Amino acid sequence: MKRKTLTILSLILVVTWVMGCATMNPPQKVPYRLSPQGTVIWEDEFEFLPPSPDWKLLRVEVGENDINFGFMKSDPGPFPSLTTFAYDEEPFGCATRFEQREKEFFKRFLFNAILQFQILERKNIRVVGGEGVAVTVEGKDPVKKEKVRAKVVFGKRGERIIGFYITQWRPMDGTYDLSAFEIFDQFVNSFKFLKKSFYESL
Amino acid sequence: MEGHQRNLYLYERFNARVLGVSRDDIVTLKYFAKSLDLTFPLISNVTAFLGVSMDVQPEGRPIFGRRTVIIDKKGVIRYVRDGSPDYKDILLFLKKLSQEDRSDPAKGGKP
Repeated sequence: MKRKTLTILSLILVVTWVMGCATMNPPQKVPYRLSPQGTVIWEDEFEFLPPSPDWKLLRVEVGENDINFGFMKSDPGPFPSLTTFAYDEEPFGCATRFEQREKEFFKRFLFNAILQFQILERKNIRVVGGEGVAVTVEGKDPVKKEKVRAKVVFGKRGERIIGFYITQWRPMDGTYDLSAFEIFDQFVNSFKFLKKSFYESL
Repeated sequence: MEGHQRNLYLYERFNARVLGVSRDDIVTLKYFAKSLDLTFPLISNVTAFLGVSMDVQPEGRPIFGRRTVIIDKKGVIRYVRDGSPDYKDILLFLKKLSQEDRSDPAKGGKP
């Protein structure tokens, strides 16, 4: 019986780890180019409409849970007036069903800020040529007197869930600039996969 | 760890299983697994003999170093990498091992 069990486990992957001690890899230089139509072709893998030049490109990192790329803009007003949006190939969580992934994601989204989140809107949408879910939330920190409005869009690439998100931070008495959310929506709506992902081609 | 959980369906495809090994106690590991929704086994090895056998036990420290090890079905260590797991590299290696296995004449495959 023991031998049979060993036979079934034909390959075993053993992982040791130090909890909470993920190492950071050095930043990777990522090539991109502009198409004649004004869209960005990123690593010959993605195509999207970029925001205006006052949005700075976010540093590209590789590794566990890192953002693939994104854009940020300092907004008028006192700290923390800042808007950031990004595409994430591996958003927090593991599930391949939207409902479960949404739960997993929001357990850790902006975790370090320790916010009290309220869902403002949740709707089913079409994104990157398939079904998706868009969730708009607001988080508040009454101690630091800060707030954030965020929209998270979950879509699918093959069997896996991908994500887009925008966060806009403000002082508690600040006003959100909803035009940034329209720019984010344009970015998401223009987003295309130009080839199969690594995982789809295995 | 979350990356391994996301890749479980691919590990299954390559006939591989993943185990996590840590010096943390069982209760800590249960909370850790719950926080990340992990469903694969985590082994609590408080006495550290597994870490010693895998050479990831730094002398005088109560933790293991981070290392990924792939053992084939004959018990031979085929892959060792330190630091954060390179999930794509792991998947490509497992695919290669799976293909080797399928072409093994002893398994009815073509050499």
